[in-house]
Amino acid sequence: MFARLATKRFLEIRQILLQSPQPSRSLSTALNYHIDSPDNSPDTPWEFSAGNKGRVKEILSHYPSNYKQSAIIPLLDLAQQQHGGWLPVSAMNAVAKVVQVAPIRVYEVATFYSMFNRTKVGKYHLLVCGTTPCMIRGSREIEEALLKHLGVKRNEVTKDGLFSVGEMECMGCCVNAPMITVADYSKGSEGYTYNYYEDITPKRVVEIVEMLRKGEAPPVGTQNPKRIRSGPEGGNTTLLSEPKPPPCRDLDAC
Amino acid sequence: MAKLLKTAIQAIREKGIANIVKELKEGEFVRCLPDGNLLQTKIHNIGGRVVGVDKFGNKYYENLDTQFGRHRWVEYGDKRRYNASQVPAEWHGWLHYITDHTGDELLMLKPQRYGVEHKQNFSGEGDEYIYHSKGHALNPGQRDWTRYQAWQPTKT
Amino acid sequence: MGFGVLALRASRTSSAINRCFSVSRIFANPSNRHSRSIASTPELRNAEAAAEAPQTQEIHPPRTPLAGARVHFPKPEDAIEVFVDGFPVTIPKGMTVLQACEVAGVDIPRFCYHSRLSIAGNCRMCLVEVEKSPKPVASCAMPALPGMKIKTDTPVAKKAREGVMEFLLMNHPLDCPICDQGGECDLQDQSMAFGSDRGRFTDVKRSVVDKNLGPLVKTVMTRCIQCTRCVRFATEVAGVQDLGMLGRGSGEEIGTYVEKLMTSELSGNVIDICPVGALTSKPFAFKARNWELKATETIDVTDAVGSNIRIDSRGLEVMRIIPRLNEDINEEWISDKTRFCYDGLKRQRLNDPMIRGPDGRFKSVSWRDALAIVAEVALQVKPEEIVGVAGRLSDAESMIALKDFLNRMGSNNVWCEGNGVRPNADLRSGYLLNSSISGLEKADVFLLVGTQPRIEAPMVNARIHKTVRANHAKVGYIGPPTDFNYNCKNLGTGPQTLLEIAEGRHPFCSALLAAKNPAIIVGAGLFERKDKDSILSVIDSIAKLGNVVRPDWNGLNFLLLHAAQAASLDLGLVPESDNSIESAKFLYLMGADDVELDELPSDAFVVYQGHHGDRSVYRANVILPASAFSEKEGTYENTEGCSQQTLPAVPTVGDARDDWKIIRALSEVAGVCLPYDNLAGIRSRISVVAPNLLRVDEREPALIHTDLKPDCQQKMSTEPFSSAVDNFYMTDSITRASKIMAQCSASLLSKK
Repeated sequence: MFARLATKRFLEIRQILLQSPQPSRSLSTALNYHIDSPDNSPDTPWEFSAGNKGRVKEILSHYPSNYKQSAIIPLLDLAQQQHGGWLPVSAMNAVAKVVQVAPIRVYEVATFYSMFNRTKVGKYHLLVCGTTPCMIRGSREIEEALLKHLGVKRNEVTKDGLFSVGEMECMGCCVNAPMITVADYSKGSEGYTYNYYEDITPKRVVEIVEMLRKGEAPPVGTQNPKRIRSGPEGGNTTLLSEPKPPPCRDLDAC
Repeated sequence: MAKLLKTAIQAIREKGIANIVKELKEGEFVRCLPDGNLLQTKIHNIGGRVVGVDKFGNKYYENLDTQFGRHRWVEYGDKRRYNASQVPAEWHGWLHYITDHTGDELLMLKPQRYGVEHKQNFSGEGDEYIYHSKGHALNPGQRDWTRYQAWQPTKT
Repeated sequence: MGFGVLALRASRTSSAINRCFSVSRIFANPSNRHSRSIASTPELRNAEAAAEAPQTQEIHPPRTPLAGARVHFPKPEDAIEVFVDGFPVTIPKGMTVLQACEVAGVDIPRFCYHSRLSIAGNCRMCLVEVEKSPKPVASCAMPALPGMKIKTDTPVAKKAREGVMEFLLMNHPLDCPICDQGGECDLQDQSMAFGSDRGRFTDVKRSVVDKNLGPLVKTVMTRCIQCTRCVRFATEVAGVQDLGMLGRGSGEEIGTYVEKLMTSELSGNVIDICPVGALTSKPFAFKARNWELKATETIDVTDAVGSNIRIDSRGLEVMRIIPRLNEDINEEWISDKTRFCYDGLKRQRLNDPMIRGPDGRFKSVSWRDALAIVAEVALQVKPEEIVGVAGRLSDAESMIALKDFLNRMGSNNVWCEGNGVRPNADLRSGYLLNSSISGLEKADVFLLVGTQPRIEAPMVNARIHKTVRANHAKVGYIGPPTDFNYNCKNLGTGPQTLLEIAEGRHPFCSALLAAKNPAIIVGAGLFERKDKDSILSVIDSIAKLGNVVRPDWNGLNFLLLHAAQAASLDLGLVPESDNSIESAKFLYLMGADDVELDELPSDAFVVYQGHHGDRSVYRANVILPASAFSEKEGTYENTEGCSQQTLPAVPTVGDARDDWKIIRALSEVAGVCLPYDNLAGIRSRISVVAPNLLRVDEREPALIHTDLKPDCQQKMSTEPFSSAVDNFYMTDSITRASKIMAQCSASLLSKK
């Protein structure tokens, strides 16, 4: 009897251990420290491409020459676009060299923002908004549908390297919740797009994925055909007449 | 007392006088006679149910008919030198009403890898069982108060 | 005077008529006046004094500034007045609220604020209430404004700090029993005042992967409260930008991101500035608790800076070394060598007098026998064949004793190692850091000649780094390639570059000429060079060119290498002949381990007096054990000419004795008894030779005599300068015996 009790307890503990722990912090894609891997090590050379060198110069020209470090974020963004959506250590080092700061200052920035991916992502990085309005309107179902359709976990890349799913915070499209964003890294930094798909349903999101896979461009913005941008479904119900102009003071009178 | 006698007579009737004598011999009854504690335990044992025996030979009795709080007791295996620390950990809980699981059951929970063998407490019984603090004259290992390592002229 | 009168006078001060009656009743009845002492109003306790006291009494007694807070008014018109808890203080404009509170003597709890680092304002522990401010104010980041009414002990401030503390403790492990910071932990102390006895946090505590910062600093990152003091220290003081704050929110952690050791010579200081147990000393880990330790305030001898340290000992052991505040020398930092060399004091110690027998083996003997043999040999050889060398760690007392003893024996071949041949002991300005260590902060151009301050004197380097950061001072360097932790232009490697600058051909000259306070720092490694006189004369001409030596600013500095050097030159330890070692028959080594003994005649008799079995012991015929700096009272002069004294922290080991006592005893056995029997006696002897050595903790500036120097006819060689210190972690017998230093040089120096 006692052995049974013990076994039961053991199984319980095992169950807890086996459950892949849902990441309590789903902010960024990676750990706060770097682990060397073949495609991500400080020794691999990394440089801005010839086309991007001009853009680096252009970005740097926005800032005073003694505050070059202000350019870290735009440069990291550019490096991320160039490198297929993620930042290896050597790319961060390259940015540090451009803005003439110690590499750790760049690492600090890159780890702070969840938009900088420090592990590999797919060519289409699908970001599901998880903030309250979207969550209430069913963003969890959408993520579930996405993950199920692609057969991956969150922040995992599909086998063909095309898709990965991540979460992000509010993008300000709450009126058209739920929404996803597709960061398209397939065409490098030149053809980089970052499109919102709003008013989506679990069914529609799968369609969008399939369209992307075929190379088509799904229409951006609201996916609800009855809505025009963020206007209400079925046309306006209020404010139908021309708005009254604001009462202006007659400045000439006094 | 009458009840005690009754159970004694009942036991004799059941087992036969020869068996009783044999049991008394095995239980070192004669040694218990001069020791009040052991004799009292022996008398207490009458009517008690042996719940288990551990590997040290301690017998654990239970008699639910007796007064509450005195219904579990141990008869020590060692009749010469006995003390409470001879009860191993697994039986301790049962004996002190902490648990209703007997020691034999609890033995299963004993960790295989790091569960140590039970050792009785030998405090005050010979030098090797007494702890002398590091400054004590009888502490052999702590006599050297040198806190530096001297240079050794090994090389010439 | 009757009680009734007293009571009447007392009643005059009291406004309440009611109380008057009760007072007069109490005092009118002598029988119960002792039993009624419960009256707590001061007038009632001491009626007479209260009667004579002025009516308007100050509520707060005058307060003393806290933690050495100093008020310095650069411009008198910038003084503003603020009120801290109603107490008015006058402070200069630009001070923060926290500093104003410190001046007023109010201690504000803080974690992230450190007076020597930039302000981060991220711990929020220093919240105070400011009148007319809607919310509590983080006092460390808030500038004090005129007339500000700061309240530090109001319920609002207390509640705010309690809230902050609750958040800090949310993710802080309950590690105190196994934490090395326990007992000297800021978080522990402040949670006594502001901590709750329970938390409302029910989630799992955060845990963070520990980082490997090298063999000196142990990290338990889960304990970190993200004050970023270590990050700011590494960036601003140590000058190695390795540490950073990674991640955000609750996932924030201190780290290097990529696997990297902290290769700084000041890395040990992060142990002191860490307010919790996240960064602790690795060698000290689990060795002792800080309340078991006896503190001895002494100074460090591993380099010529003479950092002020506190030796913490337990029983017979030195357990750790931590810095002591001295604004003029080391501020509150010390180098890793100073901090972690202490285990060298416990290893390879000489504890018995020993004599090398005919078989070449050492044999322990009594002091009487050892001294008798030394004296016998010393009396047999010719006086000019007697040579004495003082070691790098010798104190002034033992050096004067050695010199006196050898002089009485008829020899004057005594010197201190590291000073080179024919050292310049006549002009103090020729071997001191003339602008003083803290004075380097005024300089705006540095020219480092043959010195690598980062490894020769890290505290001086920290000053230069501070100056470079604050004033954007330019630094030029002539010497072998080395790494600096500030912007430094490598001008060349040898005397050739020096000549170019002297002749005004070098581009660096323009910077030197434009500078207001140029500073030239010459390494003491040059003293060992054969052509040192010509090099020094070239440097003199550069100084003249750049107007480096002026009545108000002396920027021609010499950075010494060893603790004994300055004092030995002050005491005049200058050898008579240049090559006395080659003809020596009797060599007395007082802790001298770096003396070149190859040219010593094989029949010379070598006495080694010292505390460690290091290099020279193997050549010695007699070994006399002496005490180390942690075990004796000795006077040292640092490189800027400030004399300081060590104090014994632990007893000497074995049969060892103080250096000067051994020589004093030896002189008696040799029949030339020295006239001092105690420390006071030997110090009065020093006062005859170099009185400045006795003015402890006082800097004796050198007089400027640039034109007194004789002209030099020596030819300068083109041989480039060499580095004076090969291995920062192992420079003397103590650090060479230390295991920790060996680990450091294995893991940190190989990485470079």
